[in-house]
Amino acid sequence: MDIDDILAEVDDSTIPQETRDLQELTRTWVNERSAPELLPWPAELMDRVLERIRQQISLIEDRTSSTDPKSSFTLIILQTELERFKYLTRSLLRARLAKIDAFPLHTLTHAPTRALLSPSELQYATTHTAILHRHFQNAFLGQFPEGLRKMDDSSGGVNMVEGPDLEKAVFVRGRREAGVVIGGEGVGKEFLLGKGEVVVVRWGVVREVVGRGEAELI
Amino acid sequence: MYGDLGYKLVQHAKRTQALAHLPPYQTEIVRAMTREVRDLDKDVSDMLAPYAGSFNPASEPATACSVLVNHLCMRRNKRCLLAYHRVRSDKLEEMCWSGRDVLDIEQQQQGGQGNGEGSAMASEAGAGLQSSLSPEEEEYVRQYGDMLASYKGQWTDIDLTGSLEPPRDLFIDVRVLKDAGEIQTEYGAITLTKNSQFYVRQGDVERLIVQGYLQKLS
Repeated sequence: MDIDDILAEVDDSTIPQETRDLQELTRTWVNERSAPELLPWPAELMDRVLERIRQQISLIEDRTSSTDPKSSFTLIILQTELERFKYLTRSLLRARLAKIDAFPLHTLTHAPTRALLSPSELQYATTHTAILHRHFQNAFLGQFPEGLRKMDDSSGGVNMVEGPDLEKAVFVRGRREAGVVIGGEGVGKEFLLGKGEVVVVRWGVVREVVGRGEAELI
Repeated sequence: MYGDLGYKLVQHAKRTQALAHLPPYQTEIVRAMTREVRDLDKDVSDMLAPYAGSFNPASEPATACSVLVNHLCMRRNKRCLLAYHRVRSDKLEEMCWSGRDVLDIEQQQQGGQGNGEGSAMASEAGAGLQSSLSPEEEEYVRQYGDMLASYKGQWTDIDLTGSLEPPRDLFIDVRVLKDAGEIQTEYGAITLTKNSQFYVRQGDVERLIVQGYLQKLS
């Protein structure tokens, strides 16, 4: 079989849900790691993936109890696969937390960003900001004059709340056969991004296209 | 001079970023800076007191200028303090994530230092017992640790604090560096005695590698 035959077989409709979930998880993970700002929480995907991880764990536990040497080879494959799934999920969650921690006040006060968090992430962010603020308060802010105690001061010409740099350059690959039109502020001339083509652009220009899944970050 | 201490503190912060451990907390500088801020604030209110709230910057450019300079200095001090504390708290969070017990390490270091100095100069043994964390920071670490544990609890299946290296092999060779007693694995119990070598499942011993009991052999 030629490589082209294999590629031809890869068509979204014929691939089982599990495989598509893996692809989607990998894509979400890469996007999240490359994008400078937080991306939407993939609630449904995560539910499915976590459910499957749970299933695999209990399956492996069942198999382990039977000490048949023949089954141990399959078991190793299952376990390796499980470890990889766990790694992807873990790394995705950590990447999100890193961004939340980098801009805690922006994440919490900027309504569109706040809506991207999962409930438990929101709880984490709220608690973290609260104890961090209390720590600063106890360490030195508490002894400051009244007007200088705030953490989200924007007077004096400098805003204290920092947000992500939306103009960061990212590598994008097109995913649509027909191509995606990329244009807008910061792009000299509109252009068509064909399937499989890779370009470097500002994140702000492609965030919507990536959000719709018509292109992916690499 | 105005702002000298701020510069010093930021230099400390810069150096902290490159260090593996956490240098002692600069209690003196932090205290002096908050004092400076309070003094400056008092100067400002003294300067503005004669005008009783009807100060017109245009008619008194000299006073307006010194008020402005004082204000900027206060803000700068605040930013320097925030930066310094943030660098340190980030470092502490990183330690919490990597699974090292920050407070424990502190106590061990203290113990070691205390003994060394205790024998050399018994009278000054007390000085060696100073922790490199401020009391506020110790409190912060405790709270952050609690929060992390509760967040992690929601993701028991994927072990959120696990390794962020992509998994390659399910089983790895490890050498035991310190006696770690007996551990339970799916394949039965293993007794880890110093200098022995094992071929074990990575997931089972990850924690012990981080804690320095085992060394991974490539």
